[in-house]
Amino acid sequence: MNAPRHLLRIQCIGYVARFLGKPVQRVILPAGAHLQTPGSQHNYGQLLRPFHCSAVCSTSRPSQTQLEKTVEDETLNKDKRLVTHDDLFERAARDSKTKADFNRVVDVFSKKDIRRRGHVEFIYAALKKMPEFGVERDLTVYNKLLDVFPKEVLVPRNFIQRMFNHYPRQQECGVQLLEQMEIYGLMPNVETKVLLAQIFGEKSHPMRKYQRIMYWFPKFKHANPFPVPHVLPSDPVELARFSLTRIADDLDAKISIYQYPSTDITEPGEEVMRPHIVGIQSPDQRSLLAKHNPCRPVFVEGPFPLWLRKTCVHYYLLRADPIPPEEKVEEEFDLEMIGPEQSLFYPQRVELDLERDMGDDFSFSVDDVEEGPVYAMCMAGQGDQATLSQWISGLQETCPILGQIPTVFRLDSGPRELQTSSEQIIEEEPLLSQRVKQ
Amino acid sequence: MSVFPYPEISKEELEELHQLVQPVEKFFNEDVDSKKIDHEAVIPPETLNGLKELGLFGIQVPEEYGGLGLSNTMYARLGEITSLDGAIAVTLAAHQAIGLKGILIAGNDAQKAKYLPKLATGEHIAAFCLTEPGSGSDAASIQTRATLTEDGKHFLLNGTKFWISNGGWADIMTVFARTEVVDKDGQKKDKITAFIVERAFGGVTSGKPEDKLGIRGSNTCEITFEDTKVPIENVIGEVGGGFKVAMNILNNGRFSMGSAGAGMIKRLIELTSEYAGTRKQFNRSLSEFGMIQDKFATMALNAFVMESMAYLTAGMMDRPGVPDCSLEAAMVKVFSSEGSWTCVSEALQVLGGLGFTKNYPYERYLRDCRILQIFEGTNEILRMYIALTGMQYAGKILTGKIKEMKKGNVGVVFEILGKKLKDLVVKTVDFGLTGKDGVVHPSLTESAKMFEQNAAHFGSTVESLLYRYGKTIVDEQLVLKKVADVLINLYAMTAVLSRTSRSISIGLRSHDHEVLLTNTFCKDAHFKNNFLLTQLQKKDNDANIKKIAQEVLAKRAYVCSHPLDRTF
Repeated sequence: MNAPRHLLRIQCIGYVARFLGKPVQRVILPAGAHLQTPGSQHNYGQLLRPFHCSAVCSTSRPSQTQLEKTVEDETLNKDKRLVTHDDLFERAARDSKTKADFNRVVDVFSKKDIRRRGHVEFIYAALKKMPEFGVERDLTVYNKLLDVFPKEVLVPRNFIQRMFNHYPRQQECGVQLLEQMEIYGLMPNVETKVLLAQIFGEKSHPMRKYQRIMYWFPKFKHANPFPVPHVLPSDPVELARFSLTRIADDLDAKISIYQYPSTDITEPGEEVMRPHIVGIQSPDQRSLLAKHNPCRPVFVEGPFPLWLRKTCVHYYLLRADPIPPEEKVEEEFDLEMIGPEQSLFYPQRVELDLERDMGDDFSFSVDDVEEGPVYAMCMAGQGDQATLSQWISGLQETCPILGQIPTVFRLDSGPRELQTSSEQIIEEEPLLSQRVKQ
Repeated sequence: MSVFPYPEISKEELEELHQLVQPVEKFFNEDVDSKKIDHEAVIPPETLNGLKELGLFGIQVPEEYGGLGLSNTMYARLGEITSLDGAIAVTLAAHQAIGLKGILIAGNDAQKAKYLPKLATGEHIAAFCLTEPGSGSDAASIQTRATLTEDGKHFLLNGTKFWISNGGWADIMTVFARTEVVDKDGQKKDKITAFIVERAFGGVTSGKPEDKLGIRGSNTCEITFEDTKVPIENVIGEVGGGFKVAMNILNNGRFSMGSAGAGMIKRLIELTSEYAGTRKQFNRSLSEFGMIQDKFATMALNAFVMESMAYLTAGMMDRPGVPDCSLEAAMVKVFSSEGSWTCVSEALQVLGGLGFTKNYPYERYLRDCRILQIFEGTNEILRMYIALTGMQYAGKILTGKIKEMKKGNVGVVFEILGKKLKDLVVKTVDFGLTGKDGVVHPSLTESAKMFEQNAAHFGSTVESLLYRYGKTIVDEQLVLKKVADVLINLYAMTAVLSRTSRSISIGLRSHDHEVLLTNTFCKDAHFKNNFLLTQLQKKDNDANIKKIAQEVLAKRAYVCSHPLDRTF
């Protein structure tokens, strides 16, 4: 690569300039670059730029971007005040924090100093700032950050260096970067491996950590039989559909959307918000409801929270109390239909006085807490009685017996619907070596 | 034992049978165009008229009502010929084996006199209406209702029946519906009643015929009853007694499947062997290759066993009195339906690509055969029936002993131990089949010994199963399936042993071939039984099978990841 050659050239020019003892005028170098007095430090930034970007765009920059100015400020005022790397990120994107901004900051840092001074602190700061920019799950960003490390310098070259934890701070930094990847569940890819090999060598701590990640992560990838996707549907009806099927977990259960969210304008000119109502019921629940005794009430209870990663949704239940044992009606089998001798095709019960042998008895004696039946569930935009009554009347179409059963509403004053904590500020967990050195 | 000697019919009856069989065979060989029937999915009226003239619509109806009045054995013999065309066989069977059987066995004289004459000549066609959209194998869950009118003289029938053979043309139907009955405790209960319903009563609508895979000439459709008025004189048996009527009808019609299957296979052997003998590949005719010979042997064995079982059962049913041969009939049906399917498949295989085309009848036979395993009680249901009936009977005898064992009665335990030791040391079992006074011919001694051994082993296995499961054995379908398979094999072995002993004793033509077939079949069946019985002694895969099925059914899809999937 040309970087070492360029490095050498700059050094030579610098020495030459100092040797000559006078300000060097613009010297045209073979690459078509311009050289100015080495006295002004801020020109270093300008000097480096032409080498590291293509010849075409070298001098056509009319104005410096804000970021460059920030970097200049930093380098200019280096002796005068303490500027942390965090501020760099802060200043980079005041209003919006995107991946592009983050990448830009990293680029600027990389290009600023060929020796990458302070890269360890920078990387720590960047790791801390990642969640704010929303790039903590982006593998390319981690690879780019890993790219900040100088290559081939940190690799141990003899046995003494190999023995004694060569460049411990940098290795620890690499390990922390991989640790953050692990925390967010990212699987590193081949580029990561190549980078780690180039930066730290094959037998370094970060490389070992990478190998450990690559051993364990595939084994745990499918450990959760019911994974929640990272990207949840944003449409409340779709989200409700997803969460209700997740709770019900019955392949027969059918979702019915009783009302789509809409805004109506009534006669006095007011806006009436109609929230969405999505319900779920399975055929088993329907038949249980049909057998419910109309003398006993059913209860609409809620709202119960359901957490899907960082989103909390609330659902309501339609349930009844368990039947006390005295009132339980045993289903009688008509002996003729399922008689011991012969039913129409084969006997459903054999009239023998023998029980199952202990060796083949796989039943457990379970002390079950008796719970009443749950007849249906729903999720609604608003948890007030009016909306839920609408749900009940929608249910009545498929279960007419609901018209005769008294329905009691036992609602808590629920929190606001669809609270997402992603809008709140995530508390920063103090990582071990997070302190940015000044 | 009532299986030895093999049932016979008298010389006069046999001659009479021959007289009947010849014109029927001639009719089927010349006037029945099976290919056209299958293609157009309808039996032409000329063919139906021909059948009516031959009297095939009332084979078992007594002569006083205008039928042929033949016994079960002769019915089975005629079934061998009618089975050459699947659609015709099913139409006739739906008409007489189940459609009018109800009136025949459980109807009173007035009903018989009113309906049987026209049914026997074929002027009216009968159908059997039991299956509904919500109840196929589970016949106890039918929803069709019959309510008594105010004047108590009629029943109003409401409901839908599904997949009724002859449904489109039937004029007289045996319909099963729920009626409210007040039983002796004074409680109101729903019981099933059988009715004779005429299409002329009104309110009977037939749907359009179903487009089926096989037996396309037979008419199968939906029948809806809307407030059909049925007079109370048309109740078969008594109100609430429909269940027993249905049972008797269904249990009696099954045995003829054995002879029907055998007839079809015999025909197939003729057609296929001609092809195998003439077709040459690799400079030899197909019939010289071992695998082809294996197929022909399979076909011959299956035909032999099927007809032995069928005629044995028919003969037992023809004995005076009303013997209950439902168990044997079920065994015949299961064996025959599966045997026919494999044999037709093998016959098609001999022809290779030609068998696959519509130019040859094999594909039609294959399609027609597929229904044999489904209708008249699916094979799974019948296996359960066979096994549980056996278990019921064995359980009654063994309950006392098993209870003693479980209690840990020392004397009984010693007795069992002693018996087990004796079994280990002395391996021979003697039930008296062979030997000086034995009923089996000495040439079949080896096969008979194998049979006896199997039977004894089976007995002890049943005992251990009852010990292990008790009455919860009803839920162990995988175990019961094996038990049923063993029972079917045992019955098949008895049938062939009995038949061959008779053949040798009276010197029928080719009885040495029969001996060969018997010995081969018994040896095969012996090994199969041993395998099944070993599996039943706890060395099976049942638990794993259930677990796999549970996981697949929980997801309702194939569970494994694709072999090409990666995790990183």
